[in-house]
Amino acid sequence: MDAPMVVSTIQRKYVIDLLKKGKRADGRGFLDYREVKIQTNFIPKAEGSAEVYLGESFVITGIKYDIGTPFPDSPDEGVATCMTEFIPFASPMYESGPPDIDAIEVTRVIDRGIRHGDCIQYKKLCIKAGELVYILFIDMYVMNYSGNLIDAGAISAMAALLSAKLPTAKIVDGNAVWDGGYMTIPINQIPLSVTFGRIEDYIFVDPNMDEELVLDGKISFAINETGQITSMQKSGEASWTEEELIKYSKLAVQKVNDLRATLNLRQYIPKI
Amino acid sequence: MTILIPEDYPKTLINKDGKRIDGRALDELRPFKCKIGVLANAHGSAYVEHGKNKIYAGVYGPREVHPRHLARPDKGILRVHYRMSTYSVHERKSPAPNRREREISKIIEDALAPTLFLELYPNSAIEVFIQIVSADGGTRCASTTAASLALADAGLPMKSLVAGVAAGKADGKIILDCGDLEDKAGSADVPAAVRMIDEEFTLLQFDGEMNPEELEISMKYIKKGAREIYAAQTAAIKEKFDRIRQETEAENKIIEKETKKAEPKPVAKVEEKKEDPIEPVKETPAEPKPEPEEPTEKSEDNKEETK
Repeated sequence: MDAPMVVSTIQRKYVIDLLKKGKRADGRGFLDYREVKIQTNFIPKAEGSAEVYLGESFVITGIKYDIGTPFPDSPDEGVATCMTEFIPFASPMYESGPPDIDAIEVTRVIDRGIRHGDCIQYKKLCIKAGELVYILFIDMYVMNYSGNLIDAGAISAMAALLSAKLPTAKIVDGNAVWDGGYMTIPINQIPLSVTFGRIEDYIFVDPNMDEELVLDGKISFAINETGQITSMQKSGEASWTEEELIKYSKLAVQKVNDLRATLNLRQYIPKI
Repeated sequence: MTILIPEDYPKTLINKDGKRIDGRALDELRPFKCKIGVLANAHGSAYVEHGKNKIYAGVYGPREVHPRHLARPDKGILRVHYRMSTYSVHERKSPAPNRREREISKIIEDALAPTLFLELYPNSAIEVFIQIVSADGGTRCASTTAASLALADAGLPMKSLVAGVAAGKADGKIILDCGDLEDKAGSADVPAAVRMIDEEFTLLQFDGEMNPEELEISMKYIKKGAREIYAAQTAAIKEKFDRIRQETEAENKIIEKETKKAEPKPVAKVEEKKEDPIEPVKETPAEPKPEPEEPTEKSEDNKEETK
């Protein structure tokens, strides 16, 4: 189906009328998440990889690494950076070129969820303090757009990180040399994100493409395994009341726990 | 800089028994798999697995050309965008497009444009996007295969499918479909694509050393490989339409069941409808139409009046 550049008022009215009746276009309830399908480690040259379908949203994420110098304010910590590219075949709205503002927003929200969520143990990615650390690249490619790319991207980023294998190194004459072993990326907690969409006063989880094109605003919560909120992002013009935010942050914790239990992402950790 | 992992490179690319390092015969393809209709939004799409190459291609169009000045008033344009994912290769590729990608896009464009009826789409563009998820030598050939399939899946009229495969030379022998290692360590590489309707070459590059006799063998091998790929391509297209047929047949069965349940009502309705086209035809010559915009309402009114 074509994602239209301009959404007609009829389309918007259709979605709102359904919401008023307590229904959604694809038959889900307001708090039902779409089905998630995951496949990992299918790219031989990537350190880790994951293919994630969230409904019809489809993201492929790969992990590459590099050995580089750490930031001066954290000399004994490795680095992880995220990148998202919307491939033009994912939607007729996308054009080839450098990542646009939406792609950057998706990247930054996912990046914050990972960075502040006690997720990667950066200290274990250090080879020699102040000189050599692992730099991880989490590169997400959106293959098909069907709404809620933040959640789909976050799941694929975590699945790819968990499935990755890095060669371990020792220092010889100041250089990092392979010591013959491999390690998985040391991960403490798995943050996952959940997004609520909003049209007028109707709030629902995991907006699909039709809903995302007409909604007034969204709010994403990234939550780690101890139930701590590690990042939030309000986007779109809709505003939220204090009561709503509290209610939906609690709901988000619950939804993420459910999601984490069904996905069981730790099953993708390779044996070394 | 990544950590260098020493690999055991084989000393010879062809074993004593005449088989290659991965056990293939000289003129044997790597495992090949393809599927169409894999991306929900794209007008046409294809996924190709050729050896360890994993490639997605998506097609949009014919649609408006951006930027406008590229549009041609006499015929449509075909634009191919070949891109590699950062993680598809050993050293992370920079996400910015490079000259290699631009060149490959161009040669694939040239390979596919003659199979389309571009004169049917003046002022429009057909755009093909190719994404290499995993690269393993011979991506430009596999990309051409995928792009051709995606165009077919988009329902565009085409003169022929195009199948891409490379030949090469290793240890002085001509081989079909070089793998990554044979590509790097071999002494020649001939990536090509064949338009299957007349078996002419629509993509051809060469790099290395070969004499004309060896080139002849390469061409024969390429055509042989292309025929095998073509068979898989046509099977993939048939598979999709079989899938659609099965789905519609299942749907039809459900509809049949439902209509049987509510049998008396639809039959009665059908009878009523049968009367409609006859009556207005009788009426119209007798009464002049003051409001031709609403013929259906008018005819119903007439019907009531006559009753």
